[in-house]
Formats: sequence, C-alpha cells, structure tokens
Amino acid sequence: MREHRTTALLLAPAMTIFAVLFVVPLAYFFVISFWRKVLFAMRPDFSFANYGKVFDQHWSTLLFTLGLALIVAALTTVFGFGYAYLVRFKAGRWGLPLLFVAMITLFGGYLMKIYSWMTILGIKGVLNSALLGLGIIDEPLSWLFYNPGAVVVTLINFLLPFTILPIYASMRGITDIELEAARDLGAGSWRSFSDIVVPRSQTGIMAGFTLAFLLAAGDYLTPQLVGGKVNMIGVQIVAQFGGIFDWPMGAAMSFVMLGSSFAVVFVAVSLIAQWRPR
Amino acid sequence: MNRRSPTLWRGIAALYVIFLLSPLVLVVLFAFTSRAQSAFPIEAFSLLWWGTMLSDPKFDPALGNSLVISGWVGLIATVVGTMAALGLTRLDARRARLVTAILCLPLMLPPLVLGVTLLTFYSWAHVPMGRQTVIMSQLLFTVPFVVLVVYARLRNFDFRVVESARDLGASPLRAFFTVTLPIIRSTVVGAALIAISLSVDDFIITYFTISGGFTLPTFVFSMIRTALTPEANAVGTLILTMTLGATFVALWLTRYRG
Repeated sequence: MREHRTTALLLAPAMTIFAVLFVVPLAYFFVISFWRKVLFAMRPDFSFANYGKVFDQHWSTLLFTLGLALIVAALTTVFGFGYAYLVRFKAGRWGLPLLFVAMITLFGGYLMKIYSWMTILGIKGVLNSALLGLGIIDEPLSWLFYNPGAVVVTLINFLLPFTILPIYASMRGITDIELEAARDLGAGSWRSFSDIVVPRSQTGIMAGFTLAFLLAAGDYLTPQLVGGKVNMIGVQIVAQFGGIFDWPMGAAMSFVMLGSSFAVVFVAVSLIAQWRPR
Repeated sequence: MNRRSPTLWRGIAALYVIFLLSPLVLVVLFAFTSRAQSAFPIEAFSLLWWGTMLSDPKFDPALGNSLVISGWVGLIATVVGTMAALGLTRLDARRARLVTAILCLPLMLPPLVLGVTLLTFYSWAHVPMGRQTVIMSQLLFTVPFVVLVVYARLRNFDFRVVESARDLGASPLRAFFTVTLPIIRSTVVGAALIAISLSVDDFIITYFTISGGFTLPTFVFSMIRTALTPEANAVGTLILTMTLGATFVALWLTRYRG
C-alpha cells in the first residue's frame, strides 16, 4: 500500500499539470464553442450555430488547409524516411552527425526558420540577390514568395525533424542480420526494402506523418508571414482572438480543425498500415 | 552494406543538411553584415545590428523575461518530470506506456490550439496573465520531454544499488539524493537543458499567454511583422545560440537518441 502511495505521489505533480492546464481548459473551450458572442461578451448557450457558421463560411479555407497539410505531411514523411534510411543504412560513421543535425533543428528555431525563409524567398531576398549577382536571372523572381509553394517549403523545412526521428527510431530495430538473411534467401534489394525495411518502420512512419499533419494543419504563422494571401484555418482562428473577438467562434473553428485533422490522419494511417510484406 | 554509389548517397545527404541548416546559418551570417537588407553581395561584416539591438529599449526587458521564464520552466519541468519518470519505473510496462502516452497528449495538439485554450482558461479563472502564466503554460510541453528523456535513462538503471542503500538504512529520499541522482545526473541536466531550449524558443504559446511585454521571440515577431530589419537577425542569432547551444550540450550529456 505504501509502495502505491509513493508511486502516486511521484506522478501527482505531472498529472496535476496535465489535468489543470490541459484537460480543464480544453473542456471549458469545448463548452464555450456552443456559446454565443453578444457584443464583446460571451453568453452561455447551447447552440450549434458556430459550427454551422464554420462549415458555411470557412469550408473552402478548411479544405484548402487540409489539402495543403496533406501535401506537406506526405512530402515530409517521404523525405524524412529518406533521411532516416540514409542515417541507418548508408551513412556509416556519418550517421551520428546526421542524426545530431536532425535533433538540433527539432528543438530550436521555429520562428527564426520562418523569418529566415522570408528573407530567403523575398523579392529583394537572399535567393533573388544571389541569382542576380551570379547573372542567372535578369530580374528578381516574384513567384518565389507569398504563395502556397513558399508555405509548403517552409513547413517541410520546419517539420522534417519531426518525421526523421520517429522513423529512425523504428529503423534502429532492424538488424543487419535480418537483411543479410533475406539476401541469402534470394531477396533482391527492392524485395528486402519493401518486405523488411518499410513494414518495420511503419510505426515511425505513422507517428511522423501524424505529427507533421497536425502541426501543419494547425499552423498560422507560416501562412501569415510567407504565404501572403494564403488563407489557412489557423489564421482565421487567430483572427477570432484578435480583432474579431469572437471566442466561441474561435473555439468551434478549433474543434472543427482538430476533428477533421484527426479524421484525415486516421484514414492516412490506415492506408499506411496496408503496406504489408507479400 | 550497399557500396554501389557512395557518392550519390553523400550528395543526397549534403543536400538534406544544406536544406535543414541553411535557414539557420543565414540568420547568423546576416547578423554580422552592415546592409539594411538580408541579401547578397555581402559588402562588409560589422556589428552594427548588435549595437542597434543593445540600444533598443525593448531588448533588455525581453532578454530578462526570456531568462526568468526559461529558468523557472527548466527548474520546475525538471523536478516534476524526473519525479514522474521515477514513478513510471514503479509501474508495470503496460501502465507505464499508458501514463507516458497521456502525459504526451499536449504535444499532439497544434501550439495554436493550446495557446488559445489557455488564454480563454486564464481569463475565465481570473488568473492574472504575465510571466507566471507563460511559465505555467510552457510546462505543458516541456514536462513530457523531460519524462521521455529521464525515463529512457531509468529503464536501464540498475535499481539494486538503490535497494542496497535502503537495506543499509538510507531513507528513500536520502537514497535518491546520494545514489540515484548522482548516477543519472548528466541525463537530468540534459533534460533540463532541453526544457530550457524549448522554453526560450517558444513563440506561439508565449504570444497568447503573456498579455503584455516581450520575450526574445515575441520581440523578434514585433520586428518582422511590419518591415524586415536586420536587427531581427541579431536577436535571432542570440535565440539560436541559446536554444541550439543548450540542445547540443544536452544531446552530448544524455546520449539520448530519439
């Protein structure tokens, strides 16, 4: 009994933080999504009007956001898989430094990366000035910046470590012995790739894709700073808490975004699970 | 194993590293130039923007806030996270996995949603917003990382040494401070540095929960949302030095590999 009490005591602070700062705020946020804004105050209510309005007025933004997040998550997962594959199977003694690069860029520089892409892609920016200086172009390329492509590149740059690390973690479980055994049994390199490497990395692929999708769909700073007129649902949510001051609406939009994101992730993860050894 | 085309693999690896690191390298590079634009050609290297940064009246309070907030977050997240990791080792594997997954749930939500959720919560609960709310909010995503890192270390920890200390009459607390902690110290310090680096780097949650005043990232944001000024490169370099430096030392100390 004493033993159990110690365990509970040790876990209590972390669980308290989780309950008080995550569960309670999220529950309250869910409740107010059914309230109404009257002038600049919130009035308790039980109405689905906010949810109706989200689908009515923001459905195109929502679809665009999910589509863009899907492209970003798919590309980031593929590139992240490539990097993890390189680290685990091809890089030899360079594997550890490469892994370090991924881990270091995971923990720092979110805002600075977005800012840097603004300076790289801008009309008077790094890329244009370099290309002009090298005489490759005669006038600055304006299509580099303020468009969905710039948002996709910036998001991939920031999310890549989030897919590399879980995929690498699951690839670490694959032993060279398994691959050699497969080769000795006559499997070609594609066969052992598709029957051993991919299936054994599946949990990492799913985790990486999920993280990349959720973070891309919920980002608002990238579209705001490098997207120009690119409108994502996150930008609209922030607007409800800034100028528009309609918190119930912002709450409803957040839950629609989360719900639809989880639905896409669920489908995508089920599809990834379809890849099985023949 | 495959030695067919090492040059090709090396080329791909180089492209990846350039893509991952060049945005960060460029921020640092342009912090030391004199032009009003982050662009080539670089005419001269100078400390001009560092002077601008230091004489900016908003800089000192922003740096102060960042240091105070990340200090507290590092301390609290490390104590709470290490306690939780110790608690996890006392559970069976299935329960430990479940509790870890629960504690990591806040990492699954976009920071934007966490930020606005906390903002509405504080205003509802009449919690005065400022540094204290930023510290509380940042615990949500720093504690899970501390738990993951310390728990990973404790899983291959030989608890027989602790039992010996207990058999010799040491109280549980004393056994922890004289036996367990010295053995796992570098991991705990590393976990603290990761928490600090996540805290210094955080923009979104800070932005929604600070209400007034700046931290280094929100200070940078105030500079770049209107017009780009290379002063942002100098402040950015400072942020990157703190976060990447802390992470680098942390990885070296913890030998944590994902």
